[in-house]
Amino acid sequence: MATTIASRPLMVLRLATSTPEAIGPTPHGALTIVPVTGGTFEGDRLRGTVLGGGGDWVTTRADGILALDLRVTLQTDDGGVIHMTFSGIRDAATQYFRTAPRFETAAPQYAFLNRLLAVGIGEIGPDGPVHTIEEIL
Amino acid sequence: MKTQLLMTLQVTVAPALTVGDVPFGTRRTAPLAGGTFEGPRLRGTVVPGSSADWLLLRRDGVLELDLRCTLRTDDGALISMQSFGLRHGPPDVIAALARGEAVDPATYYFRTMPRFATGHPAYEFLNRIVAVATGDRRADGPIYTIHEVL
Repeated sequence: MATTIASRPLMVLRLATSTPEAIGPTPHGALTIVPVTGGTFEGDRLRGTVLGGGGDWVTTRADGILALDLRVTLQTDDGGVIHMTFSGIRDAATQYFRTAPRFETAAPQYAFLNRLLAVGIGEIGPDGPVHTIEEIL
Repeated sequence: MKTQLLMTLQVTVAPALTVGDVPFGTRRTAPLAGGTFEGPRLRGTVVPGSSADWLLLRRDGVLELDLRCTLRTDDGALISMQSFGLRHGPPDVIAALARGEAVDPATYYFRTMPRFATGHPAYEFLNRIVAVATGDRRADGPIYTIHEVL
């Protein structure tokens, strides 16, 4: 039985965002949509840019926690296109900012992304959110 | 990545309902007949009737798991758990699992990402964490070793 969870670095994802759109109070909490306008990602096995058109649907829950729901499109430096989503938790009080990314791609060289689970450690950098993503081995 | 053990969850799976071929693959639903969980901060049983694993065998051979179960702690709290997971491996290993044979869990990939929700004050910390689990498929159901991502 595993007593630890093994992981290895997958990528560091840096997102560029624009002015959030505040939808306001919904039945689940206050919804804010943060558009993702670009960004970069870099790891040993893949690197490239984040295409515009994505976003993070952020709901402020009744307990103050931010529930994250992100969708973005990644384009690798060799032309692969990757659909990436994550759900996650951000607790402003404790700085706990963790996500569960998932990937879908048709590019054969990146098919391994279709078969893995991952965890992201998030932080808000001076230029926007930065997610250090590890593959769960 | 830093983690700490949250619990070991052992579930018993009832015979699966085969929904059949659907647009994204082959779908089966496996109700949970029961189970137990135990960790440093919580322990209890799985509530049957509101617990099952919705399985989708994708066309690329990967099994997607969508588990939803209700946990009852030994002090009476109810915890809703959902996890998305993936299971895949060499064809001979997956075939052995399907036959109910004992298989070394290191020979295949079986990982899930549990999320929890509860209204019980003693377990509110579960509402605020991301977790990762490794699975070990036994003949009568999986054993999940669940770690909190720190």
